[in-house]
Amino acid sequence: MQSSLFAVLALLVLTAVGFLIGRRRAVAAGSGRASRLHSLPNYYGYYLALWTGLPAFVLLALYGLFGASLVNTLALGELEREAAPLIREYEAQLARDDQYQALAEETQQIEAEALSARNEMFRAEREGGDAERYLRALGALTAQRNEIAAERQVRRDQVASSVAARAPRTIPGVRARAGFEYWRAPSERRELFIADARALAFNEGLASRNTEEIRAAALALRPWEDLFRWSAAGVALALSVAGLAYARTRIRASFRARDRVEGVVGLALMMTSAIAILTTLGIVFSLLFESIRFFASIDWRIHEFLFGLHWSPQIAIRADQVGQSGAFGAVPLFAGTALITLIAMLVAAPIGLMAAIYLSEYASPRLRAWAKPALEILAGVPTVVYGFFALLTVGPFLRQFAMMLGYEDAVTQSALSAGLVMGVMIIPFVSSLSDDVINAVPQTLRDGSYAMGATKSETVRHVVFPAALPGIVGALLLAVSRAVGETMIVVMAAGQGANLTANPLESVTTITVQIVMLLTGDQEFDSPKTLSAFALGLVLFVMTLILNIIALRVVQRFRERYE
Amino acid sequence: MTLDFPIDNPPTRYHPLTTQLPIKVATEDVSVRYGGKLALEDVTLEIPDRAVTACIGPSGCGKSTFLRCVNRMNDTIDTARVSGSIRIDSEEVNGRDVDPVVLRARVGMVFQKPNPFPKSIYENVAYGPRIHGLAETKAELDHIVETSLIKAGLWAEVADRLHHPGTSLSGGQQQRLVIARAIAVNPEVILMDEPCSALDPIATARIEELIDEMRENYSLIIVTHSMAQAARVSQMTAFFHLGKLVEYGPTEEIFTNPLDQRTQDYITGRFG
Repeated sequence: MQSSLFAVLALLVLTAVGFLIGRRRAVAAGSGRASRLHSLPNYYGYYLALWTGLPAFVLLALYGLFGASLVNTLALGELEREAAPLIREYEAQLARDDQYQALAEETQQIEAEALSARNEMFRAEREGGDAERYLRALGALTAQRNEIAAERQVRRDQVASSVAARAPRTIPGVRARAGFEYWRAPSERRELFIADARALAFNEGLASRNTEEIRAAALALRPWEDLFRWSAAGVALALSVAGLAYARTRIRASFRARDRVEGVVGLALMMTSAIAILTTLGIVFSLLFESIRFFASIDWRIHEFLFGLHWSPQIAIRADQVGQSGAFGAVPLFAGTALITLIAMLVAAPIGLMAAIYLSEYASPRLRAWAKPALEILAGVPTVVYGFFALLTVGPFLRQFAMMLGYEDAVTQSALSAGLVMGVMIIPFVSSLSDDVINAVPQTLRDGSYAMGATKSETVRHVVFPAALPGIVGALLLAVSRAVGETMIVVMAAGQGANLTANPLESVTTITVQIVMLLTGDQEFDSPKTLSAFALGLVLFVMTLILNIIALRVVQRFRERYE
Repeated sequence: MTLDFPIDNPPTRYHPLTTQLPIKVATEDVSVRYGGKLALEDVTLEIPDRAVTACIGPSGCGKSTFLRCVNRMNDTIDTARVSGSIRIDSEEVNGRDVDPVVLRARVGMVFQKPNPFPKSIYENVAYGPRIHGLAETKAELDHIVETSLIKAGLWAEVADRLHHPGTSLSGGQQQRLVIARAIAVNPEVILMDEPCSALDPIATARIEELIDEMRENYSLIIVTHSMAQAARVSQMTAFFHLGKLVEYGPTEEIFTNPLDQRTQDYITGRFG
């Protein structure tokens, strides 16, 4: 750590020196007069400083990002090579072990049976046969397979420990055992092994175990780490000095330092925007890959996910259960989302629009100056506050109101209460965006209409509104995508039952609520139940993406027309 | 450049009228304030019917403000206060009981920048007749639209695309469309606020021709920055300066024999 701190400090000093040298040389090249230089003297300083600092810092950054994993790979690779005799011995013993081979054969047999049972089940489902029977059979087979797998693991561990015990208790022997243990470990165990070794070697936190093997691995890590650390610092300093020397020779009065610095500035800005875009891409891809895993786990029955009418992912609780055909028909979620969005828009579109028209066309400038910010405060209320407002105030009120009207099945958590409150939440989106669009309609159009003898409301209806319509549509679409993605209000106020209903007084559930339900609490990240959340997220993402693209297109066309 | 203006406030200089046309619009001591600022001060003049009256003067001299008094467009600005008397056919415009909406049907207006509504060509022209209920049937409306477009000299160019958007026309065509829109409600007075300043010379020439033809049916008041245009199209000219009407009279007289030094300086291009 100290060595890299030292390297960074040295680089900073060198960079500053580079700046000063560049400046001074430029002044000298211009014989003391800045006007003879192509660029201001400072630009030569920046140019030199960039050559001195940038390559070296990039190198250090690369070392920071990849140094540790490189060291781990090299050190443990070394140990694994030393463990080669143990590995050979272990594999040979397993191959000779009759008990183990018998178990392996049995596993293959069971897997073949399970596959055929599975196919039978799908066929029965399609043709209306007795799918339940195959499902039960499949369950039994899976349980059997898991049992055998556990026995095989026990057998493997026995063989491994007898092989390891034969290694001598010398330093090379312990190193070989460490390499053997690492080689045998599954990937998450390997990570733990490395973490423990690093913890012992470099005081990076506490080790969870402190065995001979881990101590050996820690000792193996150290020389590699030292080598890389010092060579990274050394190479960085060398790069820095070399950069300085090279850039220094290029400084002449006619050298275009300003353009070069400008180029680097442009590059740096490009990198930052690339980070933003790449992060988005990363999110999309992680959604996509997890969704693909989900679709694979339901045997690519994507149509069933998109068009199925029954949603009950809770059936598949444990991985060893075979009821993984647990219903993943997402239509009730889509319908619930659509119902709540519709109710929200029925509230927000008229109120927001009329508020916008009042603010931009009728209100006096003084009233507008405080009414508009006041309306926008609504957008600043945390959604969870809206959520409990819906749950504790609006929900019970609506239920009692419905019961008063004679609808006895009314519940507190209903699509209506969530939709109404969500509508209130997105009013400021609609009003603020529409207000901007209406204000962008040129005054000359209004004057033209007034000069024809039209009243204010006629002008709004016949001239201002049609002129602003594309922008208003854009504003509404943005509000829709906001409503579709809203989670907290719906979690609290709409209930969780995946009912496929158009009755706003029943509880429904939305895509976002289900994602929350599927991913909170203890989860296994390889059961279809959990993975289905990613598929839902993907659907949600695609939906809002399409809405946003349309909205932005529409708004853009509006801008082109009037600017 | 220094100009030696008289320090006291000289009264407006009026040339004797050379035409026998009846008076359409008569104003008396019209002043306009925007907030506390005096934009127009004591303007008194008589504008003849069936003639073009040009208002000229440097920017900010109050000529557009004066124009906007005639159809009470200043009402749409919260801070504007208009005093004095404006009569059209001896009927007071500024009265409290006058409905500006009805007034504006009698006084059409064309703006500096063509401002067709975001509607079809047909709907643009039909806009006024529709809101004032001038047509009983579709056929009547069609007739009004057609005659208005003919009068505005646009019919031949748009007859086959009446339902295209008004904004798809060229700048000069848009301005003639706006004129057709103003004509469609049968106004008596038409106000034009620098109608050619956003147009190229060819489109300008077409509009000027049109103004000259329209003189036969309407009383036109036109604000212009181009002295040549004022000389070409108008019969009467009013010269405004710093919110005051400096000189008013037949165009020929103003341009050949100005009575006030400021008018002389402006029309010879010494300031403005």
